[in-house]
Amino acid sequence: MNRRYNQILAVALLTVLTAFSAVAQNAVDPNREKAIDSLALEKVRDLGKYIKIIGNKNTPYTEATRVMDRAEELFAPGSEMGVSSLAKEEIEYYKVREYFRRLMALNYDKVTIEWYDIHYISKLERQPDGRYVGVVTIYQKFEGRNGDKLAYKDTTKKDITIYVEKKETQIAGRTIEFWDVILGDIRVSETTI
Amino acid sequence: MIKQVLLISGIFIFLAIQPLSAQIITDNQRVEEQLLASTKQLNQFFSRFNGEEDTRGREFEPDDRQYRNSRLRKRYLSILFDEENAGFSESLFQEFVDRVTSDADPVFLSLRSDNWFAVVNTTFAYKGKSVPLTLYMQIQQEGLGYEWVISDLSFEPYKSLFNKQRGQTKEFLHPMSHELDFMNLRKAMVKNGSPESYTLADFKPDFLTLFLYEVKMGHLVFETVNRVNFHFFTVDGWYFSLSNFNRPGYNTGWLISDLLKINAQQKQDLLKLLYDKN
Repeated sequence: MNRRYNQILAVALLTVLTAFSAVAQNAVDPNREKAIDSLALEKVRDLGKYIKIIGNKNTPYTEATRVMDRAEELFAPGSEMGVSSLAKEEIEYYKVREYFRRLMALNYDKVTIEWYDIHYISKLERQPDGRYVGVVTIYQKFEGRNGDKLAYKDTTKKDITIYVEKKETQIAGRTIEFWDVILGDIRVSETTI
Repeated sequence: MIKQVLLISGIFIFLAIQPLSAQIITDNQRVEEQLLASTKQLNQFFSRFNGEEDTRGREFEPDDRQYRNSRLRKRYLSILFDEENAGFSESLFQEFVDRVTSDADPVFLSLRSDNWFAVVNTTFAYKGKSVPLTLYMQIQQEGLGYEWVISDLSFEPYKSLFNKQRGQTKEFLHPMSHELDFMNLRKAMVKNGSPESYTLADFKPDFLTLFLYEVKMGHLVFETVNRVNFHFFTVDGWYFSLSNFNRPGYNTGWLISDLLKINAQQKQDLLKLLYDKN
């Protein structure tokens, strides 16, 4: 009876230790956080490149569609863009794909999209499901021209959600853990600049 | 005077981000300097308030001598106030800065601080119309991390819906109703009537439950967020609120728009006012 009790106790203890070890492993250490920040910025820059290609009037339709597919892969399913302007402060919500399609369909002869060399990355916060979440802020300059005439221009602030999750992969029979970054909802607000 | 202090601090930030060699400032550089100076996220407000990042938004390591340095914090704090509409005196501002940066008992802020909340002004579709509805939101610990949750709301149609009368003029079920198997409930429970009249004296409607029910039933449909503000009672004896200032210049983004020194009674009164419970 005593032996059986000890066995149960040992199993219970092992379970708790494993759980603690899993929690400890899931914490993001400060050095790792810097690497995650770089990865997040890389994904945001990829998004920036894709937006430039999609918005460019010289991009053929088939190429734009292919780039939209690639851009969509950066995002978590169901991600949305919440857009407001100086004229209309209420936020309008678009699915990512719909936002890209609207960008592609803009009625200008020439569209120029540039990014200011300013970004801000928030601290990562843990959410109830154990994933980490942060926000990267960047600024985009947009110009739409008809002929030589500047028809519209704005500068928008883009607050981009990033989700950070620990994943596992098998390489040569060994399990390797890595942190993956995926983009989420984006708040787009026009600035007065 | 407070504006002068803020301006000087703004210039400090401006100078801090200039390369040493003289050069012509292009439009792009000017805009980038303004964007750099802007307090772009609430997260950055916390980091600047706490003195945890440099002027380019890079985090200090905790062992860096600049980390949470009180001189740095004082410089940052001066740019974290709305300088255009600041309705508080320089002495109040100075007293607050001295309080939160005191060597003996400094105050730092974070997402996990106590006694702060967000007021989110939204629009919902209700009975065929777009109507304003205010949500009060707080951070709470849950599962393996944290989440924002709705703690309360203010909605004009609800406020007048349960306007319960008291005393001689109120509607009531007479005290012998039990002898009639409460058959007079038939006249009490009617559409557009005052069913709240037939409740306990201390009845308080639970608007949050009502709101959740109406959202579930599809009677209230979310449309948009119009504005967000943050209110802090985290510093003992003080209240301040943050608003987002989207305007040209260097004093922009998330800034302190109200600052008050308050006692316990004033705190309760202010909370009632903010939660629209007056």
